[in-house]
Amino acid sequence: MLVLTRKSGDGIRIGDAIVVTVLEIRGKQVKLGITAPADLSVHREEIYRMIREQNEMASLSDGMDVTGVKEAWRTLNEAEGIKT
Amino acid sequence: MKIPTVRFGEIDVDPSRIIDMPGGIPGFEHLRRYVLLTHRENHPFLWLQAVDDGRIAFVVVNPFLFQVSYEPEIPDDVVRKLSIGKEEDVVVLVIVTIRKDPFRLTANLRAPIVVNGKNRRGMQVILEDHEYPIQFSLLKTPVLETEAGAARKEMAISTALGGV
Repeated sequence: MLVLTRKSGDGIRIGDAIVVTVLEIRGKQVKLGITAPADLSVHREEIYRMIREQNEMASLSDGMDVTGVKEAWRTLNEAEGIKT
Repeated sequence: MKIPTVRFGEIDVDPSRIIDMPGGIPGFEHLRRYVLLTHRENHPFLWLQAVDDGRIAFVVVNPFLFQVSYEPEIPDDVVRKLSIGKEEDVVVLVIVTIRKDPFRLTANLRAPIVVNGKNRRGMQVILEDHEYPIQFSLLKTPVLETEAGAARKEMAISTALGGV
């Protein structure tokens, strides 16, 4: 991993089109500004990882499970008096 | 075109029905083309089947059927990337996770699949709004099929995607 030391107001450039600027340092928090091309998405790492894990879990759902859900659904709706 | 799938066998897909997801979705960045399939019987779940990998399919649902107050704000960069012209063209679906226990059914409201029905281009949008959970329990709120708003949204989906 490349490690660079930067002060508030300093930036780093990644390739031609990405600039990360340190906007503010306050206690344990750093505020970063990111300029990147519109076709690149930028996310907080932990959120991105959670979405990826959820997608991976979701991809394991199979047709049998869907049938089970339908039954569960009907049971609940009937309990609520909702016509399915 | 015919595509082999693990869950549905070989399916015949009209190429004009393919949804293009240029960046893939997190965890599946290499898969860019999907088709939306309805489940055999009439119920709110749809399948988002990857065209280029028969093993990968996601159960998706119209979130407005469950959560009428759901108002995901589509960021400007998404509007640009998908070339969204009108709000009516936007189709929002959320990915459902089904576990062994069917009552533990959750939907990812934090990262909806947003599709421009006009050009069939889509992406999974990670919302900045922290209020929307990644694991929203669907079966806590039984579906209100008579809910006028939800019915309207449902119609919007089939119109925008021109059936499936």
